[in-house]
Amino acid sequence: MDPSAAKLLGAGLAMGLGAIGPGVGLGIMIGKALEAIARQPEVSGDVRTNMFIGIGVTEAVALYAFVVALILIFVA
Amino acid sequence: MTEPQRDQTPERVPERQAAVGSRRDEDLEEAVFKRGMLRRVPWWLWALLAVGALVGLGIAPGGMKQEFDVAKEFTLDPIIHLPKIGPFDLSVTKAVIYLWIALAIILVVSLLIRRSLKLEPSRFQFAMETMYELARNGIVGSVMKTGQETWFPYIGAVFFFVLVTNLIGLVPLPLGEHHALSFYTATANLYVTVTLALFTFGFTHYAGIRKHGFGNYIRSWMPQGAPPVLKQVIFFIHAISELFRLVSLSVRLFANMLAGHAILAVFFAMALIFQSYLAALVLQGGSVLIYLFEIFVAFIQAFIFAILSAVYIGGAMEEGH
Repeated sequence: MDPSAAKLLGAGLAMGLGAIGPGVGLGIMIGKALEAIARQPEVSGDVRTNMFIGIGVTEAVALYAFVVALILIFVA
Repeated sequence: MTEPQRDQTPERVPERQAAVGSRRDEDLEEAVFKRGMLRRVPWWLWALLAVGALVGLGIAPGGMKQEFDVAKEFTLDPIIHLPKIGPFDLSVTKAVIYLWIALAIILVVSLLIRRSLKLEPSRFQFAMETMYELARNGIVGSVMKTGQETWFPYIGAVFFFVLVTNLIGLVPLPLGEHHALSFYTATANLYVTVTLALFTFGFTHYAGIRKHGFGNYIRSWMPQGAPPVLKQVIFFIHAISELFRLVSLSVRLFANMLAGHAILAVFFAMALIFQSYLAALVLQGGSVLIYLFEIFVAFIQAFIFAILSAVYIGGAMEEGH
């Protein structure tokens, strides 16, 4: 397999596999935040704030995979 | 207050239509009031316009067959050439101009607000007070236990700067090549976000060292009651994770903005990619949705950058393992 084909294949695999974990994690976290809000609506402000922090940190992991894919395509 | 009476209109319509001559004005006024101006246009006119638009797009001759390369949206060409000092190229590029625009917007808005503070707020002042309260209580007040007064200026500045820079990246300005209108976010550039993250990183350790003293601060990275070898290992892991915060903070903002704008560029250029106006029409709805989502992401990323900076600085000041 010549290097450019391997690069593109690697980039695709990096982004595809790297998005599984954060996707599952985000779903679990947002589900739990919804449960918390449903149980006790008066803490919805605090729960929402912390949920956004959690979303930011978790989505960053998917974005590391994106950056690796970009590096493979454009730099390597 | 008078709305409930206006909602009872359906019962009044039949006797309205019976009166000859009064139909045009009052019904028109009802229609305009109830549903806005769109109700004045009859349905068949809408249908005719839609069919005409579709037919026109289908048979319109194409313009120049342009190439579209998404990567070229993000390359920076110098606009005003300035000399290089060592490895740093000081020329003024698109990103530099966008940063200056963000700076100008923040300065002008701040000075305007400062000059016109009233006890009874105008709408503009109310909006600014909401943002200030979000930065003060929502970000610094809810996360930092100590040092809120000391560090609020930095956290607030970072929040507003990242927010304004992200948002003006959604306004097309004629800074593209050949002075075409193009979108570009300054924070979609790794250098800008690394600079911001370096500020946070520097302030984190500065705050910790100033509060606890250098030796105590470094010693706080090691757990107290643990066998010696484990102490070194945990210290090493802690040091690596502290260094990784720099990477994660910058890459999170950079990749969010870069990915968002790449998707935006692709959606807006669907006509060029598919070489068909008809397909592009269908996809323009998607591009509007993506644009709205990008506004949301701009706010969220600014908020997350600020609140994570606050968490790191507050955490460094209350090291108490």
